[in-house]
Amino acid sequence: MLPPGSSVEGVVELSGAVCSISYALDTVESTIKRVSDDRFGAIATFIGTTRNSFQGKAVTKLEYQAYTKLALKTMTQIIVDARNRSPDFRAVVQHRIGVVGVGEPSIVIAVASPHRNEAFRTCEFILEEVKRKAQIWKREYYEGKDESEAEWKSNV
Amino acid sequence: MSFPAHITVLYFAAASTTLGITDELVPIPEKGLYLSQLTELLIERHSQSSLNALRKILDSSQWSIDAEMVDDEDLTKVELKDGMEVAVICPVSGG
Repeated sequence: MLPPGSSVEGVVELSGAVCSISYALDTVESTIKRVSDDRFGAIATFIGTTRNSFQGKAVTKLEYQAYTKLALKTMTQIIVDARNRSPDFRAVVQHRIGVVGVGEPSIVIAVASPHRNEAFRTCEFILEEVKRKAQIWKREYYEGKDESEAEWKSNV
Repeated sequence: MSFPAHITVLYFAAASTTLGITDELVPIPEKGLYLSQLTELLIERHSQSSLNALRKILDSSQWSIDAEMVDDEDLTKVELKDGMEVAVICPVSGG
């Protein structure tokens, strides 16, 4: 079955932040360069990768879909909310759609802040909010099972 | 009775897998149909599918209209109009 027509690539650029949904991720190095700022002394990064198992079942791959235009709006609002808590940072949030194999990254978040406390906390805040709200879905495929038995997951 | 107005309904994840489609144009009355009534209308349209599975998914989903989420308590207040893009937002699993 083809992915939804609305599950496409997209980018939103805000002041000091970029949110994107794409089939491939930029390198971590280039992402770090994008958030780097001589005023800031801390860069925190999070990379989410596909695990090889879930509750004893061997996982072969994950597949992601997004309602991209709404997911990007949601990610934008998350950045705005993060700024209300801690205004001084640069951030990149990238989420993949399509197939993400075992060991491969599905999400990269990089946050540069003046100090380490805010960098860690803002990075974690963005991650937890993306997991809670972004209109993105993941399907888990299992070894030895037909593709039709792959399960759509829920973060709830 | 023919319906002159239409909405586009978008399905993702479990909703699209269960129905076998990712989107459809749904005829609606010009006025008087509220978002809270859409579940029943969609179940009627897809009466040949696995109804229990579809009902379960729709009951556990949120909704968006024209790429804006609608709060659950507002479903009875939002009237569906011609041209709207309505999406079934199943429980998400990004990140």
